Amino acid sequence: MRSPNRTHALRLLVAWAVLSVIGIVAVMQIQFPPGDQSRQAADQSSLLSLMAVLSTPVFVGVVLFLIYAALAFRRGKVLEDGPPSYGNIRVQVAWIAITAVVVFFLAGIGITQLASASSSTDFSGTQLGTSSPVGGAGQALQVQVIGQQWYFTYRYPDFGGVESLHLVLPVDANVEIHVTSTDILHSFWAYQLGVKADANPGVDNIAYVTTTHTGSFTVRCAELCGIWHGNMSDTSGKVVSQSDFATWVAQLQKDEKDTPVPPYAPAYFPSPRVKGS
Amino acid sequence: MGARLVVVLLATAALAALVAGFVIGFALRFPEPLAATPAQAGPGFSVQLETVAAVGTAIENPRPDDPHPTWVGYLPTTTLTVPANSLITITIHQEDTPSGLRNPYWATARGIEGGTFHMTYFDDKGNPQEGDFSAITDPANAAHTFAIPDLGVFVPLEGVNANAPPNSMNVISFSFRTGAPGVFHWQCFVPCGSGTIYGNGGPMQTLGYMGGFLVVQ
Repeated sequence: MRSPNRTHALRLLVAWAVLSVIGIVAVMQIQFPPGDQSRQAADQSSLLSLMAVLSTPVFVGVVLFLIYAALAFRRGKVLEDGPPSYGNIRVQVAWIAITAVVVFFLAGIGITQLASASSSTDFSGTQLGTSSPVGGAGQALQVQVIGQQWYFTYRYPDFGGVESLHLVLPVDANVEIHVTSTDILHSFWAYQLGVKADANPGVDNIAYVTTTHTGSFTVRCAELCGIWHGNMSDTSGKVVSQSDFATWVAQLQKDEKDTPVPPYAPAYFPSPRVKGS
Repeated sequence: MGARLVVVLLATAALAALVAGFVIGFALRFPEPLAATPAQAGPGFSVQLETVAAVGTAIENPRPDDPHPTWVGYLPTTTLTVPANSLITITIHQEDTPSGLRNPYWATARGIEGGTFHMTYFDDKGNPQEGDFSAITDPANAAHTFAIPDLGVFVPLEGVNANAPPNSMNVISFSFRTGAPGVFHWQCFVPCGSGTIYGNGGPMQTLGYMGGFLVVQ
């Protein structure tokens, strides 16, 4: 006759396997943020999906065991003490090893994706980079994001430092986003592009993005920056075709040719520190 | 022991009531609304505002009992109600001296009818001048800006020239169109909070001085 422990273990194993498969299939249907408007955003989505898939069997196992134990081993009418437990080397080795493998595997993938998202070696040979007379061969498009209380403006150093109220990017382009601020700390968060970068005065904080789809995106400030922080958002960010971008930037240069802007610099310093008295 | 517990409970309740009262009072405190009136000349509706170096000593709408009489401000209020789908003309009696824009980009007007604002001002010799402009000549001469970012409206307000006669004001007027009803924030982009770090504290961070709500209804 099979021991009662083996029966419990077998039941749990079968239920765990079935529920885990169902759970994994369900989790794979979820569209994880931030989407796929850029390669970096798609990487983040797939990484979140992978983490959810890997954590599903763990979640199912823990919850299943808790519920099963509460039902199968609940106290009967007679109060009796269970046998003493002195630990189980095999179980301990197994859970530490499995956890370690999962954690190191995820850490490896996470670090690889982080490095690839910000690797400048990737930024060569794009359609814009190779064909643009301004950016030069192998150069990514540079865009400067300027945080100020309470609006983000955008400068295009490749196009004479012209400044815009909205961020417009060409599709299929490698873009270096240089994030800075003219006053206090802000944080540039272009949700669908998968970019969130601190905007600090006097600092040139660089984020990388490779656009893959045309469409609009939302920009928000992700650092509490004062009374109108909640209004520091813009739903008019756009990824457009290369030709539309060329038309747009040419029109912007024409419209803004008389607009005063400071000499282009990697970062700006607020001054004076205290104005008046 | 029992008495001590009661004291602690009462003190905790009193503290919680104070904090709740402060938060609720802060969240519900809005400057009195000012409604746009039908324009006397031309179509649409108009709003008249005054910008001053110190709300306690304004020429037209002084607020001597204001808790911050030395702060810069838009007067008489910063909650403006305007009709939806209408032409709104804002006239600003600008009495403050230049403070300077940190980002010169805001020296150009955007999002207004015809692309220009009308301004009466004083030149370097202190003589009155008048004209239509799409920008102020020097970003360093901006006293304030009137900006409704979500409607794309940005208008620089030139500071009163140092050579102008005492109690002079620049009068700036411009129009924009409202769309569907909604509540939009408006603000100044000149860091004009004197005595605060980088000029962005005090009146820049408090409703009723350098920012408020445009209620489109």
